[in-house]
Amino acid sequence: MLLFYIKKEHAEFISDIEAETVGTGIMGRMGNKGAVAIRFHFHNSDICVVNCHLAAHTEEYERRNQDFKDICSRLQFRQLDPTQPSLTIMKHDVILWIGDLNYRISDLDVDNVKDLISKKDFETLHNYDQLKRQIDEEAVFVGFEEGEINFQPTYKYDTGSDLWDTSEKCRVPAWCDRILWKGKNIKQKHYKSHMALKTSDHKPVSSLLVIGIKRVNEEAYKKTFEEIVRNIDKMENECIPSVTLSKREFHFKNAKFMQHQAETLSLFNDGQVPCQFEFIPKPNETTYCKPWLTANPPKGFIAQGGSVEIDLEVFVNRTTAPELNSGKQQIEDILVLHLQRGKDYFISVTGNYLPSCYGTSIRSLCQIREPIQDMPQDLTVPEMESCGEKILDIPKELWMMVDHLFRNAIKQEDIFQQPGLRSEFADIRDCLDTGMPDSLPGSNHSVAEALLLFLDALPEPVVPYSFYQQCLECCTNANQCVISMLPQCHQNVFNYIAAFLRELLKNSAQNRLDVHILSTIFASLILRSPTKQDLTEKRKTQEFFKHFLVHGSSQ
Amino acid sequence: MAKKTYDLLFKLLLIGDSGVGKTCVLFRFSDDAFNTTFISTIGIDFKIKTVELQGKKIKLQIWDTAGQERFHTITTSYYRGAMGIMLVYDITNAKSFENISKWLRNIDEHANEDVERMLLGNKCDMEDKRVVPKAKGEQIAREHGIRFFETSAKANINIEKAFLTLAEDILRKVHVSGHKF
Repeated sequence: MLLFYIKKEHAEFISDIEAETVGTGIMGRMGNKGAVAIRFHFHNSDICVVNCHLAAHTEEYERRNQDFKDICSRLQFRQLDPTQPSLTIMKHDVILWIGDLNYRISDLDVDNVKDLISKKDFETLHNYDQLKRQIDEEAVFVGFEEGEINFQPTYKYDTGSDLWDTSEKCRVPAWCDRILWKGKNIKQKHYKSHMALKTSDHKPVSSLLVIGIKRVNEEAYKKTFEEIVRNIDKMENECIPSVTLSKREFHFKNAKFMQHQAETLSLFNDGQVPCQFEFIPKPNETTYCKPWLTANPPKGFIAQGGSVEIDLEVFVNRTTAPELNSGKQQIEDILVLHLQRGKDYFISVTGNYLPSCYGTSIRSLCQIREPIQDMPQDLTVPEMESCGEKILDIPKELWMMVDHLFRNAIKQEDIFQQPGLRSEFADIRDCLDTGMPDSLPGSNHSVAEALLLFLDALPEPVVPYSFYQQCLECCTNANQCVISMLPQCHQNVFNYIAAFLRELLKNSAQNRLDVHILSTIFASLILRSPTKQDLTEKRKTQEFFKHFLVHGSSQ
Repeated sequence: MAKKTYDLLFKLLLIGDSGVGKTCVLFRFSDDAFNTTFISTIGIDFKIKTVELQGKKIKLQIWDTAGQERFHTITTSYYRGAMGIMLVYDITNAKSFENISKWLRNIDEHANEDVERMLLGNKCDMEDKRVVPKAKGEQIAREHGIRFFETSAKANINIEKAFLTLAEDILRKVHVSGHKF
């Protein structure tokens, strides 16, 4: 039992009163052992008072130690704020711990004990006190204090008298009943027993303690708290990751098909913390930039004061060329550079793309009589139809390349087998896109490769995707009918290329080509699959095309 | 016992035309300072400031956005998640005021439905260059049922008041809807 009284004048400063109990018998419930405790907030101190009854019997001091630990861990007060974890005894500023702790006097027989008591040599007797020994060994009540004991043991008397236990057991007198405390600024005024009370086999003990209490100056507290909050805010703001960018706008002038153009973006970490950067996708987009653009590296780490160089590279390939050629897309993008837990930076990418016959459809190219780059911009190619001019049979660019090869490379050894030069390809491309010279620059091998690239870059292959399946089905019995169903310009291109390749095969002694080599190379360009191609399919396309190399066409 | 430095976190967003002073408004509020050099915000920046309202410590995370038109489609993606949006115009710039309805539409389209909105007419210290009468700002705010202040980041007029009022309005809403903290 624990009775808690408050003087009237202090009542208004007391709050958050909670009481709890915990049992320590078998299963933590049975029996009459355990603790009751009350906690409260007094001014700005949290105070807890515990009354307990620990395990009995002289030899059971370890059991008592265990009871103490169980009480400390299992006794938990609810908090007013349900989101806060519950409070344990040890979380309080002041703890007063009282009760029948039941520690005995050991290693002295009953006569010696009584002799020391009669001489009032409590100091010597105290050395045999289990509680003192256990505290000295730091086995229990760590951090607790107790005042000097100047009274005789309070246990065990014959009830109703001041006589030591006269029963058969004749128990050794002991200081079972104790008052301990933990906390700062606590002074004991007195610690005594009350021999006059005879209703129990124990004598009660009492103590008067003067306890220093924390009282916060609300105004100063508020001011200090605000200052701390301000400083924390300031620190947090200063610790937001930050970088400076060497440039915010990048312009890529005259981007061309299959031509790398790169610019460097330097990031300098001018913040007070290391930072992690990453280019992130804009809303409703899945990638962080347009397909013709890359940033390398797209993410990384910069130490404080460090810097990183990022290559922004424009590269237009056969996938991205068609929409740029037709003007549906421009070289224009905004990159979002995100710093983890920090700012986002926008980086503008602008530029212009020089349209090319590479990545332009056969149909469109047949409608353009002048070089593609002489075309007025903003004029989308399909509108040309309305000009009423007669359209070309095949794209003039294709004719220029094939004618060049026919005239110069028909006997060239390893033609279509040796790679060309990258720089020569650039010259050939520029030549096709800007003018109509009598002959093309570069070696025969480079022109041959330029031709292959041209076929590869066609948005719609020579045999359009919609006819692909049909061609596969008749591959073993290829006939003209499928080809004759193609759109006229596609049909023309197909027959033109097949005728050229047959011319090449007539000179196989010199150019070392055969039907197998040519069908392997050209089938995959002319008969492109709308989806991923497997090996059987690949063989069928070659079979189909081989037919036209061997038998020729009737036209 | 260790105390958290705040009870609630509110995310606020500053939007409006380029050059109306969004960054300066934020800088005045967070650092109590003013800088006359104009550096266009090209991206998204933020600062935090903790304030106390009705006994609650409220941490404001305030996002500053690029005002330039070419970034609008990107910046609108940052609206979601904002609990309060400050829409700023410049009282010396008629165009910035005309665009208010466009910005309000942007909020309708991209922000949370229960977002708390506020209209600020900034640069009110420049009375001699004023082209937007205060009454016009008040009127459009009334029409849309939102609060309105004329502010000056330079002369420190109504800046703190505007932020605290917006935070208070959000706090009230949080109470009503019974959000748990």
